Amino acid sequence: MCTTAALLVAAVAATGSAQQHDTTMPAMPPGMPMPAPPADTSPNAKEPAGAMHMPGMASNDMAMPIPMPKGMVMMPGLVGLTPPGGTFLPGAGVNAASLPDVRPSEVVRVKDGDTLDLSATLVRRTIAGHPYVMYGFNGQVPGPLLRVPQNATITVRFHNRIDLPSSIHWHGVRLDNRFDGVPGITQQPVAPGDSFVYHVHFPDAGVYWYHPHVREDVEQALGLFGNMIVDSPDSAYYSPANREQVLILDDLLVNADTLIPYGKTGPDFALMGRVGNLLLVNGEPHYSLAAHRGEVIRFYLTNAASSRTYNVSFGGAPMKVLASDVSRFEHEERVPSVILAPAERYIVEVRFDRPGRYALVNAVQAINHYRGEFDGEVDTLGMVTVDSTAAAPDYADAFAALRDNAAVTRDVDRYRPYFDKPPDKRLTLTMRGSGLPLATVQFMNVDTAYYAPVEWVDGMPDMNWLSTSDQVRWILRDEATGKENMDIDWHVKQGSVVKLELFNDPKSFHPMQHPIHLHGQRMLVVARDGVRTKNLVWKDTVLIPVGSTVDVLIDASNPGTWMLHCHIAEHLGSGMMTALHVDPGPAR
Amino acid sequence: MIGRLGAVALGAALLALSGPDIGPYDVPLYATASAPAAKGRARLVFAESPFGIAVTADGHARYDAQITAAGLPAPSSLGAYRAYVAWAVSSDLTRWQRLGVVTNGTSTVGAVAMDKFLLVIAAEQDSTVATHRGPSVLHGSSPSTFLQSFQAHTAFFHGVTD
Repeated sequence: MCTTAALLVAAVAATGSAQQHDTTMPAMPPGMPMPAPPADTSPNAKEPAGAMHMPGMASNDMAMPIPMPKGMVMMPGLVGLTPPGGTFLPGAGVNAASLPDVRPSEVVRVKDGDTLDLSATLVRRTIAGHPYVMYGFNGQVPGPLLRVPQNATITVRFHNRIDLPSSIHWHGVRLDNRFDGVPGITQQPVAPGDSFVYHVHFPDAGVYWYHPHVREDVEQALGLFGNMIVDSPDSAYYSPANREQVLILDDLLVNADTLIPYGKTGPDFALMGRVGNLLLVNGEPHYSLAAHRGEVIRFYLTNAASSRTYNVSFGGAPMKVLASDVSRFEHEERVPSVILAPAERYIVEVRFDRPGRYALVNAVQAINHYRGEFDGEVDTLGMVTVDSTAAAPDYADAFAALRDNAAVTRDVDRYRPYFDKPPDKRLTLTMRGSGLPLATVQFMNVDTAYYAPVEWVDGMPDMNWLSTSDQVRWILRDEATGKENMDIDWHVKQGSVVKLELFNDPKSFHPMQHPIHLHGQRMLVVARDGVRTKNLVWKDTVLIPVGSTVDVLIDASNPGTWMLHCHIAEHLGSGMMTALHVDPGPAR
Repeated sequence: MIGRLGAVALGAALLALSGPDIGPYDVPLYATASAPAAKGRARLVFAESPFGIAVTADGHARYDAQITAAGLPAPSSLGAYRAYVAWAVSSDLTRWQRLGVVTNGTSTVGAVAMDKFLLVIAAEQDSTVATHRGPSVLHGSSPSTFLQSFQAHTAFFHGVTD
């Protein structure tokens, strides 16, 4: 044994003994992890009891505190460790049988001036045969689908009946700052048993979602999310469709029949966020839809997962994308699949032109760190079964056409004079770690030859699980001042157009993509790595791949103090947030 | 004390040692014996996509290559050739995909949707050829080819032998 390696072994042993050990877990035998042959990569396929693995990967047939990818065991230097800080599961040990069964989302049509109640409560969810204590709004997962006319203002009385402080953030909605739902910025957290009244104004048509802005890694992950569809008064706002479907994509990390506990004092899985091994559509593992031949279905897609970026398609059925977060695209486009980073929304139309079965799949190229190779993973999220009855009316011609949305272009045109101005603000996205297990540090320091622009799966869940928000600090750094996260003090005048350059530093300790979300405003992605965007759309969340520089133009029209943060829940919980102060002033 | 020329030489030497600042999308291109004075580099950028990043339905990243070349001789100086064409080549060399025509200066070609690939610029009979036949003048490897295997990572923790 060489001297360096001997020292490293000793150091790792010392690190392990210094941390809390899980004495119920047998030590892993040393040995070479061997890659396993390709297999059915759907994590949602029927599993034998006790199975535990990451999507597309099989179990190790060994007791593991967390599921590991197929063919991989925990890194020896990490065996026996648990995340510091204690664990949390909802309900404090309540028997799931004593809770009401969760119900599917119900559509609530509201009009201007209406009032409704939303209560966050404990629910029992049975997923793949296993009952879990989780959360829901009004006993539903997803929460009620609010169908609202554009420019309506509604009142929502929120009642917190769960065991954590909470709030509701109305994601993407350019509403009055007082009702943005951010504890510490716009309100106090709503304590268990308390209530808060929100007045929510909906100025923009599209699909939006609501979720807590407290411990999203727990509350949102356990079911506190729902959609809002804001309907334009223009009945031809989108291309015609026979039907609409609202799909919230989400994932859940479970062992044999238990939830993997959450960090008690802050998020665990802080390095890359918690990536689930059960992929869910509207809270269920097997989405199913019956359709007629030639039917055009408009799908409203939302990614509510904590960390996972999706690449979804419908079994090769032709698809076009109409809209994203806060507006339609300038031009409809034919697309082979839809890429959704956490918190992003896309509205697409799909035509099922032949009878048969169309699998809704998430297909990605994962990285196998052990073999140094890319591995295709296909997760089947659901199935659309198309019969031979012809859909009526037949929208084939309208579907074949790709519309130009002149109103969007006219709106964007007002901002084109600002596209080429120098950035007003520059943020670098990076991280620092301290107190991480030495094995993690050693591995991360060596694994530096290549960084994937997007990590689609968690290739190293053992390292990830053992990283907490106490050890990992995700950073937004203002390049002008060197200030970081909430120490940044940015003020802009209402009505100003702010060009923000976001650079995702590939040389940070753990480079990773970040979906950056800005509250209460809208923004245009005008360029990526110097390449001008051709087909613009108003966004509230933008994915920044590793090593990329993305220029966004913020329409700072809504006064108030607005969060700007990474929407990977564990990154947000590890500090990756700042605030943009839009000071009231004369409109531009 | 070193003089100005010495300082310049030292700086150049340091720069040469440290090499260019290679980012995760950069592809240094190396000259072949066919055109030893040629220089080049490429930068991969995501192909145009409404989603900001571009991937195929099965998840392969789709990149355009911004190729900056200098010192390319006239293709005809290498034989019966009229154009330089960029090719993406699978790492096992079984698949050659035509990306587009390259000239001195910056040319954007693509898109390529291979996980690991070589980038080859070759003189070809004309600018429209669909099959690679001519001499290569510049070549490089996609950043993903540097993805390492850590199958033996346990050596860190159970010892290694010299």
